[in-house]
Amino acid sequence: MATLLQPEKVLYLVRGEKKIRVPLSQLYFCRYCSELRSLECVSHEVDSHFCPSCLENMPSAEAKLKKNRCANCFDCPCCMHTLSTRATNIPAPLPDDPTKTTMKKAYYLACGFCRWTSRDVGMADKSVASGGWQEPENPHTQRINKLIEYYQQLAQREKLERDRKKLARRRPFMPQAFSEKYGLGTRLQRQRSGAPISALYGLSLKEGEDQKEITIEPAQALDEVEPLPEDYYTRPVNLPEVTTLRQRLLQPDFQPAGASQLHPRHKHLLMKRSLRCRKCEHNLSKPEFNPTSIKFKIQLVAVSYIPEVRIMSIPNLNYAVYLTFYILENITHVSLYTCEEEDPDDINSTAKVLVPSKELVLAGKDAAAEYDELAEPQGFQDDPDVVAFRKSNKIGFFIKVIPQREEGDVTVAFKLRHDFRNLAAPIRPTEEGEATSEAIWLTHHVELSLGPLAT
Amino acid sequence: MADPNAKQTGQKSVKIVAGAVVCVESDIRGDVTIGARTVVHPKARIIAEAGPIVIGDGNLIEEQALIINSYPENMLPDAEDVEPKTMSIGINNVFEVGCVSQALKIGDNNVIESKAEVGRNVILTSGCIVGACCAVNTCEVIPENTVIYGSECLRRVQTERPQPQTLQLDFLMKILPNYHHLKKTVKASSTPARS
Repeated sequence: MATLLQPEKVLYLVRGEKKIRVPLSQLYFCRYCSELRSLECVSHEVDSHFCPSCLENMPSAEAKLKKNRCANCFDCPCCMHTLSTRATNIPAPLPDDPTKTTMKKAYYLACGFCRWTSRDVGMADKSVASGGWQEPENPHTQRINKLIEYYQQLAQREKLERDRKKLARRRPFMPQAFSEKYGLGTRLQRQRSGAPISALYGLSLKEGEDQKEITIEPAQALDEVEPLPEDYYTRPVNLPEVTTLRQRLLQPDFQPAGASQLHPRHKHLLMKRSLRCRKCEHNLSKPEFNPTSIKFKIQLVAVSYIPEVRIMSIPNLNYAVYLTFYILENITHVSLYTCEEEDPDDINSTAKVLVPSKELVLAGKDAAAEYDELAEPQGFQDDPDVVAFRKSNKIGFFIKVIPQREEGDVTVAFKLRHDFRNLAAPIRPTEEGEATSEAIWLTHHVELSLGPLAT
Repeated sequence: MADPNAKQTGQKSVKIVAGAVVCVESDIRGDVTIGARTVVHPKARIIAEAGPIVIGDGNLIEEQALIINSYPENMLPDAEDVEPKTMSIGINNVFEVGCVSQALKIGDNNVIESKAEVGRNVILTSGCIVGACCAVNTCEVIPENTVIYGSECLRRVQTERPQPQTLQLDFLMKILPNYHHLKKTVKASSTPARS
């Protein structure tokens, strides 16, 4: 359906730190700042972790401990599909009577897509359905853990020193303990877009505890390298046995070169994230906590607040465009303006556009009207030269495009101005008892790409 | 269409060995021999245009599967005498829903998954699995225990061949006669030799 609507042809300009041009379906609208926000000018926060196949929720601390992998589900090392557990009956001797055999259930992992089974790599069948499968142990784990501990300690020490220096400059009377609480908080760090938040900072400093000095041996460089086997250049390659780069790099611990060493790994967890406007710190998008629910607690998407422009059809030079508006409110007034001559936002357009100069009036979205066959005619007077059709919350109008160049793609830009009633703002109690919300006029810069010129 | 040149081989009609379950709604044309314990679902099509088809025992041919021994594309049916080549299919194969098989030689224990296409010049040995929607139109012999999967028809070798679907076959042989009429079987004295 997204390809039918072709949202990439209509781009809205977002005036954030960088000027980004994005389709409206990918934008959010902060109704407190009354501005469009794109994914790059909001801060992303992790809400919860869950496994995509068993949909099990996992608290963040547990997720960190398990390296963001699910405990129950496995990924096929060959095609990255989810593995399923299958059972077979194998004859096994009874514990009491070794001569008689009885059927016991044995479980193995199998992929439904590429038919990989755990027997292919030599993993024995387990007698329990879940929990029996172990990932192979990385031989370098101990060394890596030791290195991490050493560097954690180093980072804490450096942070202390930095705080000490800063406090020495500002207020020499402040005790050191305050720096931990009022120092560089995570909130301030977040506001700097793109600033990497060091994972080591999140560790708690256990003050007052004697910290052992952790020493590590530096890595030793070897002079002699193991020689290659003699038939390395002459041995024919067994292609089905060689792993692809993708299969190899999905297991960075081992990076096996042979397919018979590809062990299954636990499945990666996915996360639900919430978005927050950087300027006013309000939440723009907050999903439900339950992994099985796709709804949102807070969903301030731009499509619900800003009229959306869609290209309807492209006959020769007259272009039909239509405008849809998805808010459940009442009437909205939309007017369009062409960009002025020296508009700094207008860098991409290769054609001039003539938009209707009158104001267009749009009705709000009425959810009940969809199912009501005898829709009452809305009492709007439309100029047939300007308006092609009108249907509940949609209106179609014509624009004329005059290409400026002889060949290439035709791109036009114009400004869309509409009124926005902010219902989130607290309504001041008026004496008449009437709840009027003030209408703000917002202007957006819209670019349409209409395709190449016919030669 | 019943090939009028089939009188060269001496058999014009379908020969179903006792023990096979072939539904009436299936479309079988030409010189076809179906072995014992084979189940042919309704709406399956087995068409022997350019030569006979010999199907072994224990095969499972599901709905809308098409097994066709047709003329190569660039030849007219009435052109110079074309030797009718026999298409032979071994035992315990599975032709899943909607697959198209034109391969002249299929061994044992193969699985052709749904909507897969196997061309005329492919020879499937045993234990091969052609994945869903994979089209194999090359001119080669697929080695044993090969799995072809994915949108790019990647290949890998598995260590064991797919299990024969005995449970499924038993179940179908019990249930299908309750709901469908079956084609008449012919008491064969010996199974026809595979070419």
